[in-house]
Amino acid sequence: MFKMDVSAIRLEALKEIVNIGSGNAASSLSSMLQTRIEMTVPKVWLVPLNKLSDALGRLDELKVVLFLKVEGGAPGKAMFVLDENSAEIIVRKLLRQPDKVDILKDEMAHSALKELGNVMVSSFVTALATFSGITLQISVPALGIDMIGAMIDAALIEGGRVDDDVLILNTKLSASEASEEYEGMFLFIPEEGALDKLLGVFGI
Amino acid sequence: MNNTIIVGMADYKVGKSPAKLMTVGLGSCIGVCIYDLQSQIAGLAHIMLPSSGENSGGKETKYADTCLKLMLSDLDKLGAKANKLKAKMAGGAQMFSFAGKASLLKIGERNILAVEQELKKAGIPLMASDVGGTYGRTINFDISTGELFIKTINQGEKVI
Repeated sequence: MFKMDVSAIRLEALKEIVNIGSGNAASSLSSMLQTRIEMTVPKVWLVPLNKLSDALGRLDELKVVLFLKVEGGAPGKAMFVLDENSAEIIVRKLLRQPDKVDILKDEMAHSALKELGNVMVSSFVTALATFSGITLQISVPALGIDMIGAMIDAALIEGGRVDDDVLILNTKLSASEASEEYEGMFLFIPEEGALDKLLGVFGI
Repeated sequence: MNNTIIVGMADYKVGKSPAKLMTVGLGSCIGVCIYDLQSQIAGLAHIMLPSSGENSGGKETKYADTCLKLMLSDLDKLGAKANKLKAKMAGGAQMFSFAGKASLLKIGERNILAVEQELKKAGIPLMASDVGGTYGRTINFDISTGELFIKTINQGEKVI
């Protein structure tokens, strides 16, 4: 069985990796939305499956999730998680539409969100690939609007296996403009072996 | 007093009435309740994958086969009668679909089949189930009545 070793130095290196990746994702978001995006310092959690809510908060909350699989030398799962309100604001900005959008049903909204997921995860992965020299590809984006816990569990077992402890790398991206504030959470969950490859770049 | 036992992912818990058993945000995973109404004892498992055999080990509570075995043994220790046991289940949805990769793997469906098979093997009748679909579920089992309350975000609530 694969045992995850996350010592202090590996943890710091991981945060740096996520910083590089999500920094690139944040600047894509910024140019798509034509606004300044703030990014938090990355957080790294190693949580047992049954304690997932410790890292992610309430698992029954409605969230909008863009889910992409990262394939290649360091595979994993990437997700961009938005609350309903933030997703609605972002969609309106992307579609340059002043009126309220029904993000639960509107198909234009869904494709705008998928495109957003696509651009953000591409930027994340491009940064990772450039810096590590590891070849990475991303899947087409999938969109889910439902309980966050249900979407995380489905994403975790995609592929038919799951580790006992989940490593979650996370940064929060946010913007506040005249009257509107919105934020999203970027998650990367590396698969077995991916961690060693990425950290190998640091020689640790 | 609100005596609710929360069951995390890849875990199971057993208890006696008036306690309730709850698991939050089931996607492709399955929540399986096994209960003995007469003794007022029940267990709830949050199962992630069909079988321990085809995977590379780890926690036994992740898999339908090994998790249910462990839970049955705990139910027995607590005093549940094997011949009175009944089951209900919910979950097994498909939360995401990737364009162009229609039905490559539906882990939710495989989970449903695996749980049904394990229950059959153990001779436990499946009284009701609410499975499949494309939406998440939060479930709450009342040990004293044997009712399973299912909450969703867009598909309303139901009791089975």
